[in-house]
Amino acid sequence: MTRARWLWWLVMGLAVGLAGCCQGIAEPQTDGYRLLRTPTGTRYPTATAPAATPARSLLPPLDPADYSGDIIIAGSSTVYPLAERMAERFQEEGFRGQITIDSIGSGAGFERFCVSGETDIANASRPIKDSEREACRALGREPIEFRVGTDGLAVVVARDNDFVDNLSLDELARVFSSARTWADIRPEWPAEPILRYIPGTDSGTFDFFVEVVFDKDEEPILTADNLQMSEDDNVLVQGIEGSPYAIGFFGYAYYEENADKLRPVAIEGVLPDAATVEAGEYPLSRPLLLYSAASIMQRKPQVAAFIHFFLTHVNEEILDVGYFPASAEALEQAMRQWLRAVGEAP
Amino acid sequence: MPDPTPSPAGGEIAAQLRGRPRRFEAAIRWALFLAAALSIFTTIGIVYELGRESLNFFTRQLWEDTNKQLAAPIGPDDTVLPVTRSGAALHPQDMIRVEDEVMQVLAVDEAALTVARAQQGTAAAAHAAGLDIYRGSRVRLVEFFTGTQWAPQIGKFGILPLLNATLIVTAIAMTVALPLGLGIAIYLSEYASERARRLLKPTLEILAGVPTVVYGYFALTLVTPLLRAIFGKDVVEVYNMASAGIVIGVLVIPLVSSMSEDALSAVPQSLRHAAYALGATKLETALQVVVPAAFSGIAAAFIVAISRAIGETMIVALAAGAGPNFTFNPFEAAETITGHIVRISSGDLSYDSIDYNSIFALGLVLFFMTLTLNIISQRVVRKFRQVYD
Repeated sequence: MTRARWLWWLVMGLAVGLAGCCQGIAEPQTDGYRLLRTPTGTRYPTATAPAATPARSLLPPLDPADYSGDIIIAGSSTVYPLAERMAERFQEEGFRGQITIDSIGSGAGFERFCVSGETDIANASRPIKDSEREACRALGREPIEFRVGTDGLAVVVARDNDFVDNLSLDELARVFSSARTWADIRPEWPAEPILRYIPGTDSGTFDFFVEVVFDKDEEPILTADNLQMSEDDNVLVQGIEGSPYAIGFFGYAYYEENADKLRPVAIEGVLPDAATVEAGEYPLSRPLLLYSAASIMQRKPQVAAFIHFFLTHVNEEILDVGYFPASAEALEQAMRQWLRAVGEAP
Repeated sequence: MPDPTPSPAGGEIAAQLRGRPRRFEAAIRWALFLAAALSIFTTIGIVYELGRESLNFFTRQLWEDTNKQLAAPIGPDDTVLPVTRSGAALHPQDMIRVEDEVMQVLAVDEAALTVARAQQGTAAAAHAAGLDIYRGSRVRLVEFFTGTQWAPQIGKFGILPLLNATLIVTAIAMTVALPLGLGIAIYLSEYASERARRLLKPTLEILAGVPTVVYGYFALTLVTPLLRAIFGKDVVEVYNMASAGIVIGVLVIPLVSSMSEDALSAVPQSLRHAAYALGATKLETALQVVVPAAFSGIAAAFIVAISRAIGETMIVALAAGAGPNFTFNPFEAAETITGHIVRISSGDLSYDSIDYNSIFALGLVLFFMTLTLNIISQRVVRKFRQVYD
């Protein structure tokens, strides 16, 4: 053979060999949480996870492999990591269709669900507004709320920041509105300007923060100095990491993913963690919600199947994703909603 | 004199000389004309669309949700409205809307508003409890061009922060791109050997072909840390206008260099020979004879580069900042016009909301800026053009 041809065969052989051997490397690694894969494909959390109160499953068993078609989901960037994890698992366990999830903010998610009718499920980190509910009804969709988890909204600073440890709700309001420098909040803090990184106005996180801290008045926070807004929480993380005088807030999962570079601030003396959030002691805990409609769930059975799967298995994944489980009653209530929506008696 | 009577054979020759029918030629000509006309139609379409939506923005009343609701039902004659305490703060003279009725606020109390009913031609009606209250704002042209705060959600429509950031980023980009681009062009046309040219030109093409989103991440992950290392972490913020400006400059260098090089090559050799004959060095010839002779082409290149830098979106969206900020410090984060349009529209706009209408007005401003630059460029080119033989 000529040299060129020999070289070509060698390269092809290497490529095929690499493709073959590396299939094994691409398999998902098991880690401490996901210990067992039983023959039926379900997984169980290990004892290392804090015990999530298991909700009694009121739902009939369901096999993802029986369903196909598409599921279109859009909404909250906070709920996004959780929805993505559940969608991945749903597909791993045999779902034959396509799931698309867009992270665009709760407000934008409701827009797509209730006004343009493009999506099957809306993710939200705040409850639906009356005007949005009206718009949905005009489209023939009666929105049903499914509570799937709880978030402790984390107010974070960079690890380099060594002076802020606790803020009262009043101080928090001033940090995000009229104060110019840190010294304006407490005189012993440095007289450096406060750099603020917050979710944009389309975000449910923004709406929730404004509701709790500013009593629904958007003006003080939107007129603050040095304000950077983005629906993409990763943009905020990068900004806050970059300076010891920066502060921002977003869903707990984004803090946990970057816990090596960020530090949560205690609000009214309470830090967010599983205990304080579940007990409701942390002032900024809020629900993680899915909205769909009976008309959609009946017309597209794969949507109902996905929600069923979500409700059944969310507590196995939610701590790993970085959020906190909803109470057993809330999950059971969601399951009853599901049964009613698909037409089976609760 | 011979009698010039046409013979029968002469008739055929005459027919041949009249020429073959050129119907196909005519069709091709029309097709090419339509292709060129398409560019005109596109421009007209853009201007029409921008203009119509901007007119909406400037003339209509825009309503924003105040997050306040009626606390109790009211009748058509009530002038004191009970409202929820939460939500935006209202002031006397504000126009508010409940359902289809517009009212004007006369006095504001803790939990009640005194209003004048049925304003702006709407009819007074009874309203149920729990209805949303919207506040109206009208954008005044003066406020649009001189206001220093851009926050449509709360009725602030001053374009200056966005415009200022656009201009600063463009200025930084030009200080990077113009000297370097012109230098590369002079080198390529006056000094470079054939081998150097064979290496440089494709490299410049590659630089021009890199997607702008990659440039944006390049700014964020390489240029910003570099600036922070040089100037200090507390001087340079994570998102800043300087690194976006520098990278836009790098993006635009191939544009400047290729257009300038074309202009420089078009200068006839006779000018250079004349300069050498007078005893000038290569540098003197290049800078004092060739560049001034090619000035109109170089000016055109500069202006095209400025237009490109003003309209650049992805790099500023990723690296320059995510909030309008009126500052002259290039190391601070500030949002440009294009970055703002991208951020607002990536979160799903509803038609006819404040944000939707405002981005068309911003787009119109950008369009007029580039149109002005084009007109200036044409004037400059015409004024300084030198025609050789």
